[in-house]
Amino acid sequence: MAQNETKTASPSGVPLLKVENLSVSYGHINALKGVSIEVFPGEIVVLIGANGAGKTTLLSSILGITPSKAGTITFDGQRIEKKPVDKNVRKGVCLVPEGRGVFASMSVMDNLLLGAHHNLQNKDKNLERVFGWFPILNQRKNQVAKTLSGGERQMLSIARGLMSAPKLILVDEPSIGLAPIVVNDIFTILQMLNKEGYTILLSEQNAYKALKAAHRGYVLETGTVTLTGTAQQLLSDPGVKAAYLGA
Amino acid sequence: MSLSMYYFLTITAVNILMTWAIYLPYRVAHLHFITIANMAISGYLAGYLVMTLKFPFFWALLIGFAVGGLIGYIVSLFIGDAPTFAVVIVGFTFIYITRTVIENLPAVGGTMGMFGLPNIAKTPAGHRNLIILILYGLVLLVGFLIHRFDNSRLGKAASAIFVDKDLATSLGVDIKKVGQLLQVFSCIVAGGTGVLYGFIYKSFHLDFFTFHLVGIFMTTIFVGGYSTLWGSLLMAPILYGVPLMFPAEIQSWRMVIYGVILIIILVLKPEGFITRKFVYNIGIRLSRKREKI
Amino acid sequence: MQVFIAQIINGLSLGSIYVLLATGFNLLLLVALIIHFSYPVVVVFSMYIVWVVLNATGNNLLLGILAGVLSSIVLNVVSAPIFQKVMKKRGEVDVNSTMVVSMGMGFIITDILSHSFNHGFPIAYPENLTGGAPLFRIGLISVQVGQVWSLAIGAVAVSAFFVLLYKTRAGRAFRAISEDPAGAKLVGIPIVRTGIQSYALSGIMGGMSAILIAMLLHSASPGLGDMLAHKVLAVSIVAGLGNLVGGLVVGLALGVIEALIQGYAAGSWSNAIAFVVMLIVILWKPKGLFGIKV
Repeated sequence: MAQNETKTASPSGVPLLKVENLSVSYGHINALKGVSIEVFPGEIVVLIGANGAGKTTLLSSILGITPSKAGTITFDGQRIEKKPVDKNVRKGVCLVPEGRGVFASMSVMDNLLLGAHHNLQNKDKNLERVFGWFPILNQRKNQVAKTLSGGERQMLSIARGLMSAPKLILVDEPSIGLAPIVVNDIFTILQMLNKEGYTILLSEQNAYKALKAAHRGYVLETGTVTLTGTAQQLLSDPGVKAAYLGA
Repeated sequence: MSLSMYYFLTITAVNILMTWAIYLPYRVAHLHFITIANMAISGYLAGYLVMTLKFPFFWALLIGFAVGGLIGYIVSLFIGDAPTFAVVIVGFTFIYITRTVIENLPAVGGTMGMFGLPNIAKTPAGHRNLIILILYGLVLLVGFLIHRFDNSRLGKAASAIFVDKDLATSLGVDIKKVGQLLQVFSCIVAGGTGVLYGFIYKSFHLDFFTFHLVGIFMTTIFVGGYSTLWGSLLMAPILYGVPLMFPAEIQSWRMVIYGVILIIILVLKPEGFITRKFVYNIGIRLSRKREKI
Repeated sequence: MQVFIAQIINGLSLGSIYVLLATGFNLLLLVALIIHFSYPVVVVFSMYIVWVVLNATGNNLLLGILAGVLSSIVLNVVSAPIFQKVMKKRGEVDVNSTMVVSMGMGFIITDILSHSFNHGFPIAYPENLTGGAPLFRIGLISVQVGQVWSLAIGAVAVSAFFVLLYKTRAGRAFRAISEDPAGAKLVGIPIVRTGIQSYALSGIMGGMSAILIAMLLHSASPGLGDMLAHKVLAVSIVAGLGNLVGGLVVGLALGVIEALIQGYAAGSWSNAIAFVVMLIVILWKPKGLFGIKV
């Protein structure tokens, strides 16, 4: 398969993101119990797991939205677990939220420029690149975001993240609520971005498609990592097959 | 009883009653300052009835209660389920309108005010005793009713509305009915209290009903604690009484002092001194003692 | 007819002040997420600062205006940490408690004004600020220099504000926070710092309003703050809380209605009529004519 040839990136060298023993709790509920993951430059890594397994919590605590109780997060050689969100965005982490959180009453252009809030000096160059990848957004740049279709909003959400010139893109449940054909588009886009050099950490319930696109994966169950391996290993793992691939 | 003691006791009772009148609608997050307009309207009306039309005091008092409730009811038809800030502004608008109307009505003395209300008993001392008796009887009655309400199903419904209106609706609570009930009750209390307020001094003046009342009642309720009725009961005498012990110069800064206390409390202890948990713990301790005995 | 035209001009100049104040109030509501009920009281405090500086410097207009605007900015920004603290303590944004804190600030300022300045008597501004003789006069009605200025400056300031809101980086961040604070945080907008920018901006608008009110009314009194606070909140509620365009329309409308009532009705009742009109609209539509935007 041609797809497999692209999966050349291998876990070697220094990880771009290293999460060690991360614990997060909401009140008395422990959402994450000592999670450790690594993401290396040039990889697509997928977090798979059921609703409530802690995928979204993990992504939002990497960005700094959800405060962690214990553990460390190292990004690009620096500890970031206590840093505020805007500092982390400046440093090169961005999150494409679940449910395509775009600013619905603002124009497509405004949404993109919000992504470039800390990076306005390079906005023309970045806009050109983003419009190159997503020509539809160029056509709709003066439209209000709520007039876009679901797939277009997901593209806008990803494009907004790219405007901050990130080193690591966190993508939370990109396929949720989208038609299957649009989901394929989104994964194609993520793979394309990966080839352009972006490192991606993805959370996904649609495990089959996500693993097909990714290099490596982690399986999260009730706040702990229960299994990890290459995408191929996970795809052929009987436990994963039974729980997440519907086989 | 000395005159200063008389004023302390009566004004404290008025402050307790009026803070409760604001406490009740705040159970559903309504700051219902129309109560202060109610005091003025019922008070002046009762004064006019007694002075000019020679009504007996008790009839005027009853009419004061009724008029308060009537205004409260009519207004509650519109804002029984309105957002907090809308209720606040309706209250303030009522205060302004009431003041302007009273200022321009010669029948109630206009800007001069209304003086020389009759004693409601045979002697001035009897008058004072009777006023205190009525006020504290009212405190007991209203306190008892609020206590019953707080522990009833309706009280729990009100708490649900305070936390989350949508959730309360989904639990089957009629937000508007509960809001209306509380608003009307608080306006009834305020109307009657307004009548008594004037008869304490045997006069009515516009300066009795200004925004400083908003300040006093709001400080009392938020410092005491807005989640139980006990906070107001405790804080009304303290906040009114303690400044009286200081020299007049400091007393004239009363509003600054109240404002500072209010902000500090909201920053440091947003639920006020007496919280529901505090009352609950005391309740448990008392019942344990009882068991030991 | 001349009375009508003159009162329309008067009303629009008064209305432009309501618009400025309502815009500053709404900005704080949308971006700092507070109900700063006493924002107009802070503005009246700045009016007193202007008066003090004018008295002290022998009516140096430039210094007076500068002091007014700066004091308004400082007062606004200094109050920011208190509001932040109250909101944090609650665990979530609770606009009601910020309103109570703001009212507390109002009590303090009003009481200080009635104790410490001019023995609590109303203060009057010198002619070089208010503009002296009226431009023209018809019977009891006249159009003053201050009115023309307040209309012009009000229009420029509000337009500048909308340009800032829709054409600049800070404005974009303001709009993002007002639409979705959590989403704005997620894309990397510093919420607290942007919030403080909004305090400063509404401080600038408040300072300008302070100068304009002084030019328009020629005087100030401790009770003016409560009166303005009440009207500005009423304008914002009638328009729909947080609705900037609605505030523009309703603010101007209130000014014109008040002026027309003053032109045609007995003086002492004119305020009451305006209040009754407001009351009817609020009772009829507690959520505003143009819809709440929060």
